[in-house]
Amino acid sequence: MARFLTKRLAGAFIVLVLVSLMSFAIIWLVPGDPTAAFLDTSATPEQVARLRHELGLDQPLIIQMLDWYGRILHGDLGQSILLKRSVTAALLERLPVTLSLTSVALTLALLIGVSAGIVAAVNHNRWPDQVVMTAALFGLSVPDFWLGIMLILLLAVQFDVFPTGGYVPLGEDPLGWLESIVMPAITLAVIQVGFIARMTRASMLEVLSQDFIRTADAKGLTRTDIMLRHGLPNALVPVLTVAGIVAGSLLGGAVIIEQVFSIPGVGRLIIGGILSRDYPVIQGGLLFLAVIYLGVNLAVDILYAAIDPRVRLE
Amino acid sequence: MKRWKGFGVAALGAALLLAIPGAALAQTKGGNVVIGIVQAPPSLDAHVTTAQAARNITLQIYETLYARDKNAKPVPELAEGVKISEDGKTYAFAIRQGVKFHNGKELAANDVVASIERYRKVGASAALLNAIDTVQATGPREVTITLKDVQSTFLDNLSSPRAPIAIYPAEEAAKPANQINYIGTGPFRFVEYKPDSHVKIERFDGYVPNPNAEGRDGLAGKKEVYLDSVTFRFMPEAGSRNAALEAGEVQLLETVDGPTAKRLQNDKNYVVYKVLPFAFQVIKFNHAQPPTSDVNFRLAVQAALDMEEVMAISYPDIYQMDGAWLYPGAAFYTTDNTGKYNEADLSAAKALLAKSGYKGEKLTFIVDNLRANTDTATVVQQRLKEIGIDVELSVADWPTVSKIGFTPTGWNFWAHGYGIEPYEGPASVMAPWVGGTSQQKKDETIDRLYADLTASMEEGKRKQIFADFQKHMYDNAVAMKAGNYGLFQVASAKLKNFEPSRIPRMWDVWLEQN
Amino acid sequence: MSSVTLDSAVASHGPTWHVASRLLHNRSFVIGAGLVLTIALLAVFASGLAPFDPLRNSFRTRLRPPDATYWFGTDHFGRDILSRVLFGARISLTIGLLTALATGIAGTLIGATAGFFRSLDNPVMRLMDALMAFPAILLAIAVAAVLGASVPNVIIALAIATTPHTARIVRASVLVVREHEFVEAARALGATELRILFRHVLPNALGPLIVRLTYVFATAILAEAALSFIGLGPPPPAPSFGSIIAQGRDFIAEAPWVTIFPGLAIIVSVLGLNLLGDGLRDVLDPRMRT
Repeated sequence: MARFLTKRLAGAFIVLVLVSLMSFAIIWLVPGDPTAAFLDTSATPEQVARLRHELGLDQPLIIQMLDWYGRILHGDLGQSILLKRSVTAALLERLPVTLSLTSVALTLALLIGVSAGIVAAVNHNRWPDQVVMTAALFGLSVPDFWLGIMLILLLAVQFDVFPTGGYVPLGEDPLGWLESIVMPAITLAVIQVGFIARMTRASMLEVLSQDFIRTADAKGLTRTDIMLRHGLPNALVPVLTVAGIVAGSLLGGAVIIEQVFSIPGVGRLIIGGILSRDYPVIQGGLLFLAVIYLGVNLAVDILYAAIDPRVRLE
Repeated sequence: MKRWKGFGVAALGAALLLAIPGAALAQTKGGNVVIGIVQAPPSLDAHVTTAQAARNITLQIYETLYARDKNAKPVPELAEGVKISEDGKTYAFAIRQGVKFHNGKELAANDVVASIERYRKVGASAALLNAIDTVQATGPREVTITLKDVQSTFLDNLSSPRAPIAIYPAEEAAKPANQINYIGTGPFRFVEYKPDSHVKIERFDGYVPNPNAEGRDGLAGKKEVYLDSVTFRFMPEAGSRNAALEAGEVQLLETVDGPTAKRLQNDKNYVVYKVLPFAFQVIKFNHAQPPTSDVNFRLAVQAALDMEEVMAISYPDIYQMDGAWLYPGAAFYTTDNTGKYNEADLSAAKALLAKSGYKGEKLTFIVDNLRANTDTATVVQQRLKEIGIDVELSVADWPTVSKIGFTPTGWNFWAHGYGIEPYEGPASVMAPWVGGTSQQKKDETIDRLYADLTASMEEGKRKQIFADFQKHMYDNAVAMKAGNYGLFQVASAKLKNFEPSRIPRMWDVWLEQN
Repeated sequence: MSSVTLDSAVASHGPTWHVASRLLHNRSFVIGAGLVLTIALLAVFASGLAPFDPLRNSFRTRLRPPDATYWFGTDHFGRDILSRVLFGARISLTIGLLTALATGIAGTLIGATAGFFRSLDNPVMRLMDALMAFPAILLAIAVAAVLGASVPNVIIALAIATTPHTARIVRASVLVVREHEFVEAARALGATELRILFRHVLPNALGPLIVRLTYVFATAILAEAALSFIGLGPPPPAPSFGSIIAQGRDFIAEAPWVTIFPGLAIIVSVLGLNLLGDGLRDVLDPRMRT
């Protein structure tokens, strides 16, 4: 197990180095710089140059890179140019927000998706199966931001059921938190539900067709018994693998949903950083996301390896 | 008896006089107003940025030596007044007595000197103070500034709200750009800034209003605050902003689109304010790149465009057709020589086009992704198609566009607004074209006119200079003005006595509590 | 194991009409293909079908709700939304198709290289992992911000975001066959590495690749819409599904039809492609059942 872990960690480290190089490439290549947020169109080239100097932007890229890597070794992601605080603080402050959104969405998606998948598998090729699968496919085909906008229009503007956007922290006001998170989480969950339902159905079907199920049936166990004690646990293992993919997809979806619902999460921070050329935020944010993504995948791999010894020998 | 009666009447009258203001005022103290603004301020250090988002807040917590009144004229704010020497090169400012900073410190001359010197070093519009030779505290409450040359616009510059020359305590002024604590003398004090969320300011109970002023007066005046606090929420999405207003989460929106304003006009829960004019919509040419380097081509484009179509689509219900390069009502405003504005004459355009060297090449129109600007570009593109000019839109975000737009290659046209310059006055309107900064090629006529304007102290002469500038803008098609546009601002009906201005001023307003 | 590969080897080399017949009996495939074909035809014949010029401004007819003349209403330029959606289908489908092709080519080259040439496997796949460590949409946004907004750049951005996963799939297929006896046999007979790669190994990847590309096509349409929403999609006045929605955003409460109809168009297109992908997967790559 230890060797497995070391191999994984080494691989993850290399990926992180590549990610940081890529973010430098983005910064080097993307035209424009943060001065545009400070100055208006009447700024003379001298004023722009002076501000660039003050912000430390006129240093050669190599120096900036070495500087950044040096700071990273101390765990310092730098200072945001436009937000006036450390990138680490900004990220840590926003992480719970994005986690709220993604975990509520994941819970919803798992609850609805897994149940729907089971219903579909058990009623294979009959009408509940068709209905579930069609609904799942629809879920995968809807543009997430469009759905979000439509929901806002309907539930927030027309029928004043939910707020139009923004985020209320859980600690501050649990009811408010719930209200502010429901629509975004539902929007985010819709895409995942389809995927999870299809996956669950497929792996349930595969498991149900296997010999040990037929044996259990022959032994006289009730259908429910078979399902819950033998079928489901085995079917869930591949669903676990999917968890890694879903995590990545959720993170990406969260990025857009945060824009639509004006939720101050990590995704919005990074998009904002890209659009305003806040370089430390871009670099720190992308690295942070990569760490989370790799972390989740690693956790899933470890769980999988713990369950299935064959994987460890890979 | 008679004396009693007289006395009784007088007493009654006095009682009535005392009662009536009490009844009529009905200003209620208290409450928090939430304002939905489009962008977060890049900084709350007023010196370092010209962003509107910053001004919305900084002009409420800081004050300046001189400020603009409701007619945009510079009047004393932290100064009592000024004595200008005969030769026009020495300004002696008397500083008001007893003004308090938010940290309790009393304003003194050295704070003013430190702030002005800081601005000369790090100010976003430091060029405004280029004429200064020395700044000195010549007394505990007197600051003397000497200029290298006579500058007719010095007080205008000192009171420029664009990147305000805010007066900080000397200790703060000693700090580098962006590293200050936000301490000013304004009627509000800074409370908190939550990135990506909001800025909160609260009433400064130690505020000393300007005793020499009367009532609300532009960005100057005697400012009185009734609200407890104001929160500026950053909401870049127009849809979210509108929805937040209608859900009661915010009480004032910095800007609202036409159709929404029209819809809310009939709703007695809201008051719709029309701020017109707020800015010029300008379409710039790149004079360093053919064919826009060719005056005949530019004149052809100028003749072809139907500016009413541009304005009606880009700024529905909130535009003015006006070819002058100042706002109506400004001292030097004139419509002389604006004959070439909005000609919309395709045949004349074709004739001019034939005189130019344009051979049908693809041209680039850069524009940021603000809807009004892309709409302007789209309308122009379609219109120019009709006389055979092939224009391609290049939409990018603002940092990219503002970078390309200040280089001599990569663009032919660029459209965006000019808001604060016409407000500030003729010199500010002319400044972007000086030294070829905006058009990417020096224009000697404009450079000469600008130098004359700043050097001349005589009103009549300055008025003529500006008129000449305007004529040159049209005769040479230096850049094209499409029209004036404004803003719709919508507030909850509970917000009383609000009057829109360059920023949403939160002094002299109150919330109806019931 | 080897019988499965021989089966698929037979399937890809065998008579095409076996595959075609199985496809035509697959419900998903038929419905999906029907939807996609319909939209494609509408796109191809857009100039004939569209009642109005999608680019023509007419400020007298601004923001009309759907009526007899303007079936889908008009936007704030006065442009007919039905016409814009029809032409939008052209742009969106083109972007989707070209993205799928680009990722197909790039993904195959990269995946095949990694799978077949052992020494290159690790470095290449680490690079792919690094790309996959970003949420795809963020990668697309970053690339689009660097390159600037235009149809070709959107395609490049989306292709970059979808290639890593495609490369993985191709590599997996290549790995399965790489060690096989008939490959050894071919080598012994003197075939060059490249020939082995192209004639024996890659065809094995064709099935999963086609399925993947169909899903990429669908993803690209959704992603282009999201990019337009952020402001990095095809520039105006081009009507792609996403940019019609983006350009109507300011007027959403006043004129929701500008947002609703292109959204529905996206749903139908992507649904069709997903069904198509499912059908193809059922027939070409049963191992991939999800």
